[in-house]
Amino acid sequence: MVHALSEIRRTLKPGGILIDLRPFGDAWPVEVASSTGHLVAGHLTDMPTGVADDAAAFAAMTDAESRGWFVRETEDEFAFFYYWDRPSEMKEWMDAEWKDFVEIGEDAYQKTKALWASANADARVRVRVKMTITRWRRVEIPKG
Amino acid sequence: MKPQKDPEGFERKYLHRHADFADARVLEIGCGEGRLTWKYASASRVTIGLDPDHDALRVARADSPADLRDHVHFTRASAYHLPLPKDTFDIAVLAWSL
Repeated sequence: MVHALSEIRRTLKPGGILIDLRPFGDAWPVEVASSTGHLVAGHLTDMPTGVADDAAAFAAMTDAESRGWFVRETEDEFAFFYYWDRPSEMKEWMDAEWKDFVEIGEDAYQKTKALWASANADARVRVRVKMTITRWRRVEIPKG
Repeated sequence: MKPQKDPEGFERKYLHRHADFADARVLEIGCGEGRLTWKYASASRVTIGLDPDHDALRVARADSPADLRDHVHFTRASAYHLPLPKDTFDIAVLAWSL
């Protein structure tokens, strides 16, 4: 990853910016949402691969910063929602696409199904993915 | 069934809060099918999207709006070796890819 950051820095103009936009694992909430509001049914479990990926990304940016390649300018966190019409569709998606990163425990899944079944007809299920966005600026390394 | 992603548009909102894409030369690493690319590319002067996934790039090219095809380009490459000259871009975007 550090080599990739070196390559990115090389292609940036002096003073150019790098936007690092990515999700980070933090027991993402599973919610049932409808026109009347939303309820939290449970939380996903972070899997070791996802935790390791987050740590590696953080370490790579810290390394690049310590080498004087980039300076951190701004940082934010925000929610990125994934919506499904029904709990079974959410479960199928997670099992197929997210299995190395997060999983939904049986208790959280059963609570999601129960909440969804008793909610308004327009209710959907959603996962609140936690995102981070950081703006870095390329720093010039003094020669000599 | 595929989920609906970010219908609230928070990703676009935060992306534009942290970067001004107006007339910028932009490099996006990990562009995939271009989902994020279309949220800023119309403002840029030129956008290059990179991804190692040939199939994803095929989708990105097919989905390119006609009015953006002259300044948005997709190329198969890894971030570990960028086939691009130095000191070229105003903005690089790591799109869910670090």
